[in-house]
Amino acid sequence: MPSFKKARALAALLIVANGVIPALWILLTSMKTETELMRVPITVLPDTPTIANYVRVFVDQPMLTFLWNSLAVATLSTLLCVFVSALAAYAIVRLRVPMGTFILLAIVLVSMFPLISLMVPLFQIMRTVELLNTWPALILPYAVLSMPVCTLVLASFFQDIPQDLERAAEIDGCTRVGAMWHVVVPLAGPGIFTAAILAFVNAWDEFLLALTLSPRVPARTVPVGITLYQGEFAFPWPIISAALIVAIVPVCLLIVIFQERVVGGLTAGGVKG
Amino acid sequence: MARLRVGPLERAERRLGYALLAPALLLLLAVVLYPIATLLWTSTQQLHLAQPWLEGFVGLENYARAMDDPRFWSALGVTLIYVGVTVPGAILCGLGLALLANLPFRVKWPVRLGLLLPWALPLVFAGLIFRWFFEYEQGVVNAVLRLFGAAPLRWLSTPDLAFISTSTAIVWKSSSFVALVLLAGLQAIPSSLYEAAAVDGASAWQRFRHVTLPMLRPAIVVALIFRTITAIQTFDIPYAMTGGGPGHSTETLAMYVHRTTIDVLDFGYGSALAALMFLLSLALTSLYIRQTRRDEGTG
Repeated sequence: MPSFKKARALAALLIVANGVIPALWILLTSMKTETELMRVPITVLPDTPTIANYVRVFVDQPMLTFLWNSLAVATLSTLLCVFVSALAAYAIVRLRVPMGTFILLAIVLVSMFPLISLMVPLFQIMRTVELLNTWPALILPYAVLSMPVCTLVLASFFQDIPQDLERAAEIDGCTRVGAMWHVVVPLAGPGIFTAAILAFVNAWDEFLLALTLSPRVPARTVPVGITLYQGEFAFPWPIISAALIVAIVPVCLLIVIFQERVVGGLTAGGVKG
Repeated sequence: MARLRVGPLERAERRLGYALLAPALLLLLAVVLYPIATLLWTSTQQLHLAQPWLEGFVGLENYARAMDDPRFWSALGVTLIYVGVTVPGAILCGLGLALLANLPFRVKWPVRLGLLLPWALPLVFAGLIFRWFFEYEQGVVNAVLRLFGAAPLRWLSTPDLAFISTSTAIVWKSSSFVALVLLAGLQAIPSSLYEAAAVDGASAWQRFRHVTLPMLRPAIVVALIFRTITAIQTFDIPYAMTGGGPGHSTETLAMYVHRTTIDVLDFGYGSALAALMFLLSLALTSLYIRQTRRDEGTG
């Protein structure tokens, strides 16, 4: 059926174009000189492709600081979130804690609280304990932010691990915690990994809390740093577009490599929630 | 395994269970419950960080002030219009994308990437990218208008057009998550249903209308609720594209709360506004729970 094949190709093209063209356009913009960007009518392909904008991102702007802050905050909050969620999910699924489903529901409902309502008191609290403009100010809220999706993903993974394996380990002389560590954790590896990717992307992308709890230049994360770039006269588009590409590439790589996991985790967290 | 008596083994297991739950609950207490209590308490206070001598309990005065504040009503209106436009917009676009993505592709990863990329992008980045598209001189949208001989438009500095451009960015950004959720729903529909419909002579539209849509309903409800709850909190994209302007025409409730507290430092009034937002989202959350309960009951 050649016509069906053509329709299929067209559908694929539409989806890819919709998702990729905006980022592609920014990539082209980032390779143009400032004078070329001022020209009307605009050009599509850069006349003389340049990497000057990328150099300026790192030389004129503290991009490395932003990247370092983002990486540290996202990594540490992911570790905290996955650790805490894994323990909670295991307790709910395996240890028959009374009111387990209720606790799971309570954890999920947290994701429904408007972040802006949390932002106001969190600012006051972090100000009182003098944590504004530090990593912990973001790590703690980010860990909670991803807790619902991580707990759901991990709970569904734990449920699929046959309980007999743990029982067998216990009969062989393992303690309950030992069985957890030697049997459940390795088998739930893919689940833990999926949860970690989702938590990392959430933390890497967050803007509102980063803007309010960590606004000083040396403490900014990438989204805040780029959005608050100030040019001398107009919004500095050449630098902004280069910085956007620098910030997008790591997340892009992450989802290209682990796309199946990401899709699986997202829909498990979304649909089962 | 119902047991009459709670044995010692069972008790030990339970203790371990509580111990494992404790870190999560402590974190929730510290980062959500305590802040919410602080928020409600502060909303009854006069608390302006630039005027510390005026501090004190004022009861519900801050809430009364919101009722008389035209900028609050304007921000509430803008927020509700964003909900009304971008939620259906994202669901329709997401449904379209999901139906396309559900075709049997031989190579799956480009399609998956096309759906995942907008999802993985920070909201502010989507805002910045679309702000660049809608720029007056160098924006690609006006370039296309010029190409067809039309006059370029001031997308970001005319109230209605600013609303259209920010909504476009929001719909683009959020429809990919909707598409992923709906795609999972589509893939869960057994093909035997379609075969049976085809045997009965149903047309493509009839199959869509009477098989796909009803089977997809739970997934659509989930996507709808998630999208609504995020739409109430709309902040990043208008912040990056228009800063709430021109005037206050694209200023949402979240942006007004942010401005009142972080820029103006009026935490008493800002907390009252934030508490009102919290109530709005609480109302919708309970709607969500009732809906899922009903779905579980009938399905």
